[in-house]
Amino acid sequence: MWTRNICIVGVLSLAGVGVAQELRVPASVTAGEETAISTTGNGKATFYLLGPGLANKSEVSLGEEIHLRSQDLRNAGDYLAILCAETCRSSSFYVTAAQPAGLSFLVHPSRVPAGMGEAVSGVALPFDQFHNLVLDPVTVNFQLTAGNASLLSRAVRTQNGVAWFRTNSGKSAGKLQIVATLGAVSSSRAVQQVAADPCNLRIKGLRTPKGIVVETDPVRDCSGNPVPDGTIVTFSAAGADGRSTVDAPIKQGVARAQIEASGPQVISVASGVVMGNELRVGGQP
Amino acid sequence: MSRMPIAKGHFRSAVRIFGLGTVLLACSFSSGAADSSVRLQLDVSKAGPRAVESETEQVILRDYRFAWTSIAQALEVNTLDPLEGPFVGIAKKELEDRILNQRRTGLSSRYVDQNHKVQAVFYAPEGDVIELHDTAEYQLQIMDGNKSIHVERVVAHYVVLMNPAADRWVIRQLQAVSQF
Repeated sequence: MWTRNICIVGVLSLAGVGVAQELRVPASVTAGEETAISTTGNGKATFYLLGPGLANKSEVSLGEEIHLRSQDLRNAGDYLAILCAETCRSSSFYVTAAQPAGLSFLVHPSRVPAGMGEAVSGVALPFDQFHNLVLDPVTVNFQLTAGNASLLSRAVRTQNGVAWFRTNSGKSAGKLQIVATLGAVSSSRAVQQVAADPCNLRIKGLRTPKGIVVETDPVRDCSGNPVPDGTIVTFSAAGADGRSTVDAPIKQGVARAQIEASGPQVISVASGVVMGNELRVGGQP
Repeated sequence: MSRMPIAKGHFRSAVRIFGLGTVLLACSFSSGAADSSVRLQLDVSKAGPRAVESETEQVILRDYRFAWTSIAQALEVNTLDPLEGPFVGIAKKELEDRILNQRRTGLSSRYVDQNHKVQAVFYAPEGDVIELHDTAEYQLQIMDGNKSIHVERVVAHYVVLMNPAADRWVIRQLQAVSQF
């Protein structure tokens, strides 16, 4: 560390601290606004401005203001102004984000079972027109609607440039519209709500000359949404001659299967992790 | 094999040369031309609403450190290559613009002896964005050609947004602020 200090002191000594020119930078600037740096001294100097996305060099006259163009100050961050005549002087200032002009809005998931707790979440980040993150607190309104029903309306103040929510999915299958609004700026996303796991899975059976025909009642989730066609329902039959299993997809809301067995059978049904009722069917007469 | 005696005067000269050499060597090392080390501490204890998994913590630590190594390399030699990978979006564009402007004006920047104290302040419920607050200390050297025009020990504060990509976490936003 001491060697570094010696070297820094050496560099500063070589730079000749204590010469005439000075520069005065603004305390803070809003992104995209022009400003000026005042200088003192006489003669010509080289002016450098370094910042995010920027590294400019120009000849200036000492004692005059240095005009900084708005297009050079679009990116929020720290800027370093260096003025070199016989020696160099420097000063730094910050550019802060302008007013929010857009929202980055992340919503998860894209598809969610209906009636699930804490299943939908969203994160909104306000940005200004130059894509700087707006860190001053602002209020973002989140609105969730399914059909004509409002599921959630919540105003959230950003903290460190972020506002977020988490909530339950709605009860009915269909499109869930999620809108984040900040003043005149809004961003919307859609989440598809689908039926959850079947609920109250029930079957009925009928012995025929070829075996047993089993059929579910219309398969619905616990909120009453029809479980989508194609969902697999598993029928299992257990009898004296062993156990057999048949997988059948739901078609038009109902799953149907034929089990070839002549003796008495106990038939059960399941879909995913959900079990239904058991059905006892007598043997063939 | 015989040994030649060393005269006292020659010995003193040798000591002086050795001493001067040692000081110059120490200066050259400490001035940072070869010092690209990035020390980094990451604290995820205050992140929320989702807790940062330890595997994720390690990967972010690795990738954020690599990003600053890349910044130092890119801005010192004015090449865009190190930016491929660690940066996306506006963070990448700002660094690219800075490098292209440095090339145009003959400037270069050195970030030497970096020490970052990073705190995760937000981790999204689904883990798709993390916000870091980095209090970074480094020596900043600005060169105009071969001439040093600015040397400063800097304490800077950065607000950082990172997203998970295919095989790493990438920086989308790297925005310096006056304070957190």
